[in-house]
Amino acid sequence: MFAKTNIAVIAAVGLTQFSSFAYAETTLNVASAGSQNMVDYVKTYLAPKFEATHPGVKVNVVGTGPGDAGSHKIMEKLSAQNDSGLAKWDIDVAVVHQKIGGELVKDGLLAKYRSDIDTGKMVSRDSAKNALGINVNGYVMPMFHSQTAIAYNSDFIKNPPKSYDELIKWTQQHPKSFGYNGIKNGMSGVSFVTGWIYAYGTDANKLSSMPYDKSVESSWKKAFAELKQFNKNITFTPGNAGTLDMLNRGEIFMGPVWVDMFYSWKEQGKIPPSLKLSLIAPGMPGQPMYYVTPTKAQHPKLAREFIELATSPEIQAEGIVKKFNWYPGIDANYVKAKLDRATWEKLFAEITPSDLSKYGKSFPIGPYFDDIKEGYERNVSN
Amino acid sequence: MRQTTSHKLWLIAPAALMVGIFFLYPLCFSLYSAITLDGSLTLTHLDKAFDLYSKDILFTIIIVLISVAILAILSITIAALITLSPFRSLTKTLGFLYRLPLFIPFIVTAQMMRTFLAKNGLMNNAFVASGLLTPMDTVSFLGWSGIIITFVWKQLAFSTLLISGAMAALDESQIRAARNLGASRLRILLQIILPQIIPTLGVAIVLSIVTMMSVLSVPLMIGTGSPTMMTADMAFRINSYGDYHVANALGLVSYCICAGLAWFYLRQNLKEKGAN
Repeated sequence: MFAKTNIAVIAAVGLTQFSSFAYAETTLNVASAGSQNMVDYVKTYLAPKFEATHPGVKVNVVGTGPGDAGSHKIMEKLSAQNDSGLAKWDIDVAVVHQKIGGELVKDGLLAKYRSDIDTGKMVSRDSAKNALGINVNGYVMPMFHSQTAIAYNSDFIKNPPKSYDELIKWTQQHPKSFGYNGIKNGMSGVSFVTGWIYAYGTDANKLSSMPYDKSVESSWKKAFAELKQFNKNITFTPGNAGTLDMLNRGEIFMGPVWVDMFYSWKEQGKIPPSLKLSLIAPGMPGQPMYYVTPTKAQHPKLAREFIELATSPEIQAEGIVKKFNWYPGIDANYVKAKLDRATWEKLFAEITPSDLSKYGKSFPIGPYFDDIKEGYERNVSN
Repeated sequence: MRQTTSHKLWLIAPAALMVGIFFLYPLCFSLYSAITLDGSLTLTHLDKAFDLYSKDILFTIIIVLISVAILAILSITIAALITLSPFRSLTKTLGFLYRLPLFIPFIVTAQMMRTFLAKNGLMNNAFVASGLLTPMDTVSFLGWSGIIITFVWKQLAFSTLLISGAMAALDESQIRAARNLGASRLRILLQIILPQIIPTLGVAIVLSIVTMMSVLSVPLMIGTGSPTMMTADMAFRINSYGDYHVANALGLVSYCICAGLAWFYLRQNLKEKGAN
């Protein structure tokens, strides 16, 4: 009696499962690291656009948290699925930071897909091939680039500094008018210090590529001593947003900021129009976010189509440049045709594309980066 | 009889287990991680902590001591005013005001102070608008002075609450007797009230020190650049390098500072009990 009921129940449950499978939509799983605004961008902008062109497909977007830690979670999940020998992994597309992007390639967790998609040829920047010293050519598509630069108040400063040398002279003439956030209160300060080492320690090319050589660090003594001297003439700000706050209140007249944050604040009216940007020689670092797809994605074809859509000139123009003031991930010339003049000029008004290609550097490879930060702590702040 | 006691011990087992798993185990684990590398004892992490952060450790101690000194003076003054002032309605208002910071979290306080104490912040703007200062004379309090102001403002409610409670619990006949004999209010405070509330004052100070040592948001949001407090260094060590060893070594140092103060306080306390 009971056995019969059980069989009937199981059969019924099985049938409903089967029928629901038959009608189920295909789900494309997208995991995005980065701050909430990036997750929202994928969720509320990219996903609906993709679903509209692919009936029956549902995009499931998961945010994994800001900073390298968010990307790290994606890596942990993929390598766990790899270790357990699963045939299909449950992430189809991931958005990760530059550093983890390189590590994912090194661990063999990513598919080489760039030649499969049309937009793959539109990439021109070095960051699509090299992620902090690791060759990622073919495995990644940059989503966007963010860059640091020096913001200044053009009401008071008519000739902004063009290089670190000129900046030092300017701070000597105008003590306490330049502000940055050290290295513990946000990345714009770290980026400024990294640029300082590029200028007076070792050049960016060597520090941004393999192999790592510990002895390089010993030649930075003088650079750090000069930075300590420089720090006496400046104001310390409490964070990335803190620098913009102090620029806004007129407490400092110059300071390093993230370009996208700067333009977004300007658009919201949080900082005055008199603030402008200058990218100084020999350059300051910035970083891209990458679109990647795992080797054993459940829907590899859909994943490629999703990334192709996300990196198409239209989406890059509308979503990345216009909405978020980020620099495009693909070559800017493809994007230019899709943008109105005003938006284009707003993004490149102060930092021209040629400035960007000359002075837009990448961050150093991991061990050098740690050496710079620790050298700063030992020689400058302690 | 013995059996029932051991029976009763089982009742505290769940609580003890919680303390063990969520407090003692992580504590021992971080202490262990501060002094070992790959399983063998080493002092490299502590060396590195002092090498990189000795200035910050000193800065932390000085900031906390100054804050606590100001805190003690202010909260004793407020509590004494409430206890001894003849103006009842005034003390009621004061009693309401000093309690306010009790309900505001540190991070909110830090954000408030950030806009209040800045060079062109609310405070300086108010001075400029009222004609007391010119815009050129204003000074930014963001930095070490801002950290002290924030700590004092935030902890004031807590320590005043403890101290005024202790003052209210005193036998009022002593104060009345002293008054009848012609003692001034200051004399009553210094010679009759204060000596009796010293244990409570000690508790308020030690707890405030431990709280201040552990706050991360205030040095991050108000402190600017270097030197900074140890909590900011610990966070930086983990977020930026993923280096738990040196962060734990710094934790060990801050634990030792707190333990030192606690030992001093306990010894004082025991001495007094012995004297009675």
